Amino acid sequence: MPNNSKQSAGKKLRTVILSEAKNLSRFLSTFSYLNRREILRFAQNDRGFYFYSACKKVYFEAWNVAANFSRLAGLVAFLAVNLLFAVGLTAQTDSLAGAPQSPAAVSEQSSALAHDLSGVWMQYPDGDVPGVPGMNAVSNRTRPPLTPWGQVKFDAAKPLVGPRAVPGVENNPELRCEPDGPPKLLNLPNPFEIVQIPGRVLMFFELGHIWREIWTDGRALPKDPDPSYLGYSVGKWEGDTLVVDTIGFNDKLWDDSYGNPRSDATHLIERYRRVNQDTLELQITIDDPKAYTKPWVSPPKLHKLEPGWEIAEWFCVLDEDKVYDDAVRKPAGVAPAPRK
Amino acid sequence: MKHRARFAGIIAMLGISLAIAPDASAQTGKSPETKIAEDAATLSHDLSGVWMPYPDTDVPPGTGKNAVDQATRPPLTPWGQERFNASKPLLGPRAIPGHENSPSLKCDPDGPPKLLNHPNPFEIIQVPGRVFMFFEEQHIWRTVWADGRTLPKDPDPSYLGYAVSHWDGDTFVVETTGFNDKQWADPYGNPRSDEMRLTERYRRLNPDTLSQQIVIDDPKSYTRVWTSPPKLYKHEPGWEIAEWFCIADEDKSYDNTVRKPAGVAPASK
Repeated sequence: MPNNSKQSAGKKLRTVILSEAKNLSRFLSTFSYLNRREILRFAQNDRGFYFYSACKKVYFEAWNVAANFSRLAGLVAFLAVNLLFAVGLTAQTDSLAGAPQSPAAVSEQSSALAHDLSGVWMQYPDGDVPGVPGMNAVSNRTRPPLTPWGQVKFDAAKPLVGPRAVPGVENNPELRCEPDGPPKLLNLPNPFEIVQIPGRVLMFFELGHIWREIWTDGRALPKDPDPSYLGYSVGKWEGDTLVVDTIGFNDKLWDDSYGNPRSDATHLIERYRRVNQDTLELQITIDDPKAYTKPWVSPPKLHKLEPGWEIAEWFCVLDEDKVYDDAVRKPAGVAPAPRK
Repeated sequence: MKHRARFAGIIAMLGISLAIAPDASAQTGKSPETKIAEDAATLSHDLSGVWMPYPDTDVPPGTGKNAVDQATRPPLTPWGQERFNASKPLLGPRAIPGHENSPSLKCDPDGPPKLLNHPNPFEIIQVPGRVFMFFEEQHIWRTVWADGRTLPKDPDPSYLGYAVSHWDGDTFVVETTGFNDKQWADPYGNPRSDEMRLTERYRRLNPDTLSQQIVIDDPKSYTRVWTSPPKLYKHEPGWEIAEWFCIADEDKSYDNTVRKPAGVAPASK
């Protein structure tokens, strides 16, 4: 018996290391979206945190699986992965040092991009990689524990996708063609366009043909906004990052496609940064003390610039959607579930 | 009687202009000609702002309350007549309580030209190559391309259509094709076919007034081109377009109290 358990634990460990290696290589591949200067910055500043947390993830996975085999094996795996990353990163930084960009070129590029987020943006087709830019702007993995109120709402939600999807009992708000809103609106794999005009940033989403305005004229958030699907948004620049604060939500929508609740106490913070000409980074923090016991901080999600695209007309229409639901949305479990 | 009323209106307008003109030039210390030229330069090709239709009681003579005016509707084609007979509007003389089938009751997205007929504000924002229109009604936005492109040859039928534009002097001319036939042309059940070519002519008469004229060329529905008289909008500088979505659940109660009592809502003149 002990032999058997040791064998199966060993298999599990191998599987986890293999699967995490795939995730980590995906993580490394996100480097290809960044220019050389960005890689350097990534390694040097706090964005290295995400790199570190990827390592930590492997470490804990290995530790858990190897618990009845040998803790030493987990530790060895962690150190091995750390070493791998250190080597990888050094190689990247070395190649940077070999071909430095002229300071003039760098400053020209950054001034051209400074405070300009305009364009049609589409998320990268990556999976939901732990601790790294992923598919979901609101990441299930980093969700804090629910409050009792949040738990009641969560239990009542019957999502179309994910492990809790049960065919025939789904009650997603979009099945009734209710308008979508942030942050769920930012989670879905459809393009959106940003248009900047003096005093405002406009966002146009293909999904539901929704538009949203973010006031950037220095106004403060309203004291007592009417609860709404989109909320009331103000934005300000912090260095090269547009920070969008939104309050005034209603509690009729979910935070994500998996049924996590959104209450009227939600304070949503979105941080947009154009990491290079073609890449927009979005990082979401949900501060909703009515639904969650702590602020919910998700890792950043990357979007690709699509210069030739136009946002098409896609309305949710009840009659038409019945057909769409039956063919595409309703077969629960067929749609991609969040990866564990 | 009608003619006399119109004449009186013109006299009144002239009187008001005369009363205002010397006052304005006195205030600025500029000649009226300079003032007009300056205004024109400032207003030239600038339609931006939040616009609200004038209230019914305040419609200047010669202009329409409805952007799509029933009174000027040409005869229907057989196809158009069939569609018209099948539509059961919420308001107007054909409204029958309990039998309404207006697309807005199912929260179907609204579209031009009906979208332009509602007594709700809309905002115009101009950016290089494009003009955006934001309607409070159903929180709808619409793109009007202004980069010189022509209408697409074979657009997908849609609720909003595909809109391109050009400036004809001080008039902004919007042309739209590619509509589906799921919406009506107005709240009274006049049809809109997939052959409709819609022309809108916008002109800013002064800082506070926008004129909009709608021409519907839909040979599948109407035997002639349908030209409505222009409708005026008032500039509302302090306004923001609020969030107003059509929600099927919530709308049931709204329908029963506000929309459904047919005949209570204002009928077309």
